[in-house]
Amino acid sequence: MAAVLANRIARRLRHIPPSYFVFIVLLATLWIARPNMLNLNIMGIFIRQIVPLGILVLGQLVVMRVKSIDLSGGGIILLINYFISSGSFPGAGLPFFIMLALATGLVIGLFNGLMIGNRRVSAVIVTLAVSIILVGLVQFLSSGNPPGDVPRLFNDLYNTKFLSVPTPVLFWILLTAAVSLLLSRTVFGRYIASVGENAEAAHFSGVPVQRTVVLAHTLAGLIAAIAALVQTGSIAVGSVRVGLDLPILAVAATILGGVVFGRGDGGVWGPFFGALCFALLFVVMTVLGVDEPGKLIAQGVIILGAAIFYGVRVRTP
Amino acid sequence: MHRSLFNILSGRNTRQGLWGLPLLVALLISLWLTVQTTQFATAENLFNLVAQAMPLIIVAIGQLIVVLIGGLDLSVGSVISLTTAMLALDQPAIVLIPAVFVLAALIGLINGLAITRFNVHPIITTLSTQYIVLGITRILRPVSGGTVPEIVINSVSGSLLGVPYPVFWGITVILVAWKLLYGSRYGLYLFAIGGGIASGAESAARNFGVSDRRDIVLAYVVCSCFAAVAGVFLAGRIVSGDPNVGLLFELDAITAVALGGTQLSGGIGSLHGTVIGALVMALLANGMNLANVSPFIQTAIKGGILLAVVGLQSRKKMGL
Repeated sequence: MAAVLANRIARRLRHIPPSYFVFIVLLATLWIARPNMLNLNIMGIFIRQIVPLGILVLGQLVVMRVKSIDLSGGGIILLINYFISSGSFPGAGLPFFIMLALATGLVIGLFNGLMIGNRRVSAVIVTLAVSIILVGLVQFLSSGNPPGDVPRLFNDLYNTKFLSVPTPVLFWILLTAAVSLLLSRTVFGRYIASVGENAEAAHFSGVPVQRTVVLAHTLAGLIAAIAALVQTGSIAVGSVRVGLDLPILAVAATILGGVVFGRGDGGVWGPFFGALCFALLFVVMTVLGVDEPGKLIAQGVIILGAAIFYGVRVRTP
Repeated sequence: MHRSLFNILSGRNTRQGLWGLPLLVALLISLWLTVQTTQFATAENLFNLVAQAMPLIIVAIGQLIVVLIGGLDLSVGSVISLTTAMLALDQPAIVLIPAVFVLAALIGLINGLAITRFNVHPIITTLSTQYIVLGITRILRPVSGGTVPEIVINSVSGSLLGVPYPVFWGITVILVAWKLLYGSRYGLYLFAIGGGIASGAESAARNFGVSDRRDIVLAYVVCSCFAAVAGVFLAGRIVSGDPNVGLLFELDAITAVALGGTQLSGGIGSLHGTVIGALVMALLANGMNLANVSPFIQTAIKGGILLAVVGLQSRKKMGL
């Protein structure tokens, strides 16, 4: 296998994120199996469903660029969903909830960042533990039952369209463009790239490595909060299970998009298509009658496949 | 061989890590429970405690082996669920039990090969296999049910001379692991490979003639097989197959390992520390159950302990 992958053409091809190939393959599959589903309205609905994932991916790719990982998104989404749906803040309006969500994401992201950047604790352990603590807390507060309803405005906003494109999708594209600009045009973006490339060299070149890692995680927490707001708008009710599998899907989409620990070949649009792949994948699987266990297996195979694709590449001289 | 009490308690200058402190914690919790509740210090509750702690002890020992080489196995929880689901397939035990271990070894082999041959990070590898195995388990058994072979049930629920079988399970597993870690060349290699990885010189052990790739693969196979042993034990306890029984088990195991003074960066750790760590976890669960603490809060507390013990370990590497 390694010999085949060392081939010149294959080497050229491997500079393109896997997500583009997978996207084309899934699109072709869908076109063969259900050509009538490929219209803007239906696809708009499916793509709208994965906007929370797509937004979470943006945070994930930032931390994965600095050789870290954030699995706390599930806990953050659950906590913010609880804040909005539990009715603990009677009479609070949309601006209040948005500020509350952003503050929550900021604090949790900062905590993750300090633990990982300053205390140098394994990022997987920290973010998983934070997620478990938050999930346990929310489930305790709501005693295992879904909390109440979400203010109507959230769902109304979620259902709007702009030029026949659902607003959440548009919002996702804009946010992706913003993160793309942040990574390519700012000093912070350069710092992130250099820390991911080689943290030691970055340190000796005067890059504040610790601060970059802390900031990357804070940003990821903030982005997870935005994802939580969109997710809450989409389901329109309180839930004690919502979004728990999103962080892992976000990791999968990011790797599929050509961003693996410290390496950012896929940029921001690679992972963007990675998230789109999952939208299509769920449609294709539903069309083909594959149920939940099959989806779990597909997720695992995709993560491992994409990681092997990149792992082998690192080895070839 | 001179070692002061302070050195044991602080885990300084040793390859075994900080294991004296958790032992102290375990003793303190036991003491507190004995004073607080009358039910704790009864033979029945203590034997119950051993039976409750056993799966975690077994899984944690397996986890210790991969942690020693600087790895991590997040797929053990799924392997446990798969084992119970397989055992409830309504086939003779003579077929099922070998099949369970072959499958577990295969999962370990896939983990090890992806990590060593394809250079995929252990966490990403085992996270993916966790999902794949969970999917297979849910296909085999969407909800809990079925019956486990008689022999498996009998092997965990009987007693010999007043001592329940789980105690013998524990002694056997610990003896096997002791032989593997401290009584074999392979155990020495594990510490050597892990020490090299922890200090940033990944090829240190290789330079001394240790074929680290093969040994790393073997570590993941052994870890998976230990998880399968825990699965067989649990299947005997719950009498049926359950696709969710192993959920979050990998985190409990990692917590137990870290609690026992083992450094997650590899090379430093001990078997007795891990067993003590698992016992502390079981004692806490036992105590919280006796005190009627909500299961959700128990989960949150476990997460907090994980965060605290891992946060106290210092390491060089940043990130994953």
